[in-house]
Amino acid sequence: MNSIIRGTGRLLPEEINTDVHCSAKYTPGKDTAYIAQHAFERIAPDFVSSFRPGNIIVAGRNFGINSSREQAVHAMRLLGVAAVVSPAFGRQFFRNAINNGLPVVECDIAGIEEGDVVQVDLSAGTVSVPARGIECAFAPLPSAIQALLASGGLIPFLQAHPDWRLQ
Amino acid sequence: MGYTLAEKILGAHAGSPAKAGEVVVARVDFAMIHDARAANALTQLGKLGAKELPYAHRTALVLDHYSPPPNPEAANMHVAMRQFSEERGAVLYDVGDGICHQVLPEGGHLTCGDLVVGTDTHSTTYGAFNAFGTGVEGTDVSAVMMTGRLWFRVPETIRIELTGRLQPGVWAKDVTLTMLGRLGAEGANYKALEYCGEAVAAMNIDDRMTLSNHAAELGAKAALLEADEKTFEWLKAHRAREPRPVKADADATYAERIVIDAAALAPQVARAHQIDDVAGVPDVAGKKIHIALIGTCTNGRLDDLRQAAAILKGRRLAKGVRMIVTPASRQVYLAALREGIVEALTAAGASVEAAGCGTCVNITGHLVPGDDQVVISSANRNFKGRLGNPRSEIWIGSAATVAASALAGCITDPREVAGGTWRAAA
Repeated sequence: MNSIIRGTGRLLPEEINTDVHCSAKYTPGKDTAYIAQHAFERIAPDFVSSFRPGNIIVAGRNFGINSSREQAVHAMRLLGVAAVVSPAFGRQFFRNAINNGLPVVECDIAGIEEGDVVQVDLSAGTVSVPARGIECAFAPLPSAIQALLASGGLIPFLQAHPDWRLQ
Repeated sequence: MGYTLAEKILGAHAGSPAKAGEVVVARVDFAMIHDARAANALTQLGKLGAKELPYAHRTALVLDHYSPPPNPEAANMHVAMRQFSEERGAVLYDVGDGICHQVLPEGGHLTCGDLVVGTDTHSTTYGAFNAFGTGVEGTDVSAVMMTGRLWFRVPETIRIELTGRLQPGVWAKDVTLTMLGRLGAEGANYKALEYCGEAVAAMNIDDRMTLSNHAAELGAKAALLEADEKTFEWLKAHRAREPRPVKADADATYAERIVIDAAALAPQVARAHQIDDVAGVPDVAGKKIHIALIGTCTNGRLDDLRQAAAILKGRRLAKGVRMIVTPASRQVYLAALREGIVEALTAAGASVEAAGCGTCVNITGHLVPGDDQVVISSANRNFKGRLGNPRSEIWIGSAATVAASALAGCITDPREVAGGTWRAAA
């Protein structure tokens, strides 16, 4: 995976919990495609219909809090989310994202607007909107996490490295 | 510089010293999958395509959320879990055996110094036994069953010292609610907690489990206690492996140190619909309630049932109040039967149900409130509509507060009800 991700920023508010990600909570038999089609509908009904693969989600703080629901990340992968930037993530959402090869970056999002072309540099640790001169630094993800992301997630990583050699 | 409990346990399992902020790959001693996450776990395991699962025997599958299964999809999932357990040698806890966080310690599957993961946020419970317990997802447990290992970001730690002893009628639940009022829900996101101090030492194991369990509402990754003779005795009685107790270093680095005067705490409640909207019971006493629930992984243990029976024995619930009691496990249920607790609660007007946790998230549908009804519950979450009706309210308190409130028909301080001072001998 290239360490630089560039895509159209799609804004979501703060405190988006996993009930909002996937409202099919505790409904066995509902597949990821169904969950993806209904993602965020409670707070942004048109979000999914206007979302394009490669878009970057720029969310307010505490994105993905609450119950550990890996389907929330599977749905976002299915939608083609290129990366998520937020000042703070729910712990288990952050973990699930890494495990499923979805880059998540903890960074200030002040000034970023809907539709801005956002650039995330995972190695350098910057989130920027070059067209408007916005640039925020974040502590780069530990190399082990970058290795997992580069493999596309934990399952492809373990298929290639069953001995867990992270570097 | 010294090490925290979290750093020591993760470091010992990674094979080299670990400091907060680092990512380590660590050996996992035991893993748990419950039925609300099993579909995902088995799907991920299929994707992984591992022919052998050498660590499946160190994994428990627990049928507790859909307990009993309310529809064919859930019943089919249970069939798949039983079959997986049979084929792969995983430990199985079937419908009615109990809640995952109760049956794992009772089954002797964990001990001091262990690293334990479970597909549930409240896997922090195992911290009560000086083990690093944390919640993960299906992909993680698949990796554990295949390789016996998993990656962890080593968390920063908040150390919380509880000075003095809790007053009679005040419990670990009230401590956690106090912390929620202070730090806010998710106030310890990513972080581990260490609880210590005289009040923790005085608590019995059941109450310590509440302390570690309920830390999930604070967003904590783990909530660790040091071990003592009570811990060792309990683990021995449940045939756990030999403890490897871990102590925090005096010069460990903490993100924050908090001191709480435990002796000054009053019983607390969380008001509807936020777990961090906390008030002292004396400040909200008199609020009318209609439904009472004692149970869940947070407060459905024997001591919780004892608190309730001490208050309700020989009495009747207030007119119009409905009460459900769900023991945390079959073992808890049996102990409550032997002590006459089930009889006392049933005679008082409560319905005692089979062990499980489906009531907490309205999977079983046994506790759906009517419009404008108020529930007082010993559970851990009170999101709007969690029990199936967004027009109802869920208030959260200790088992003693729930029982006292069910008796009076309104939120009541258990210290004002004779019998509410029950406390196990130290």
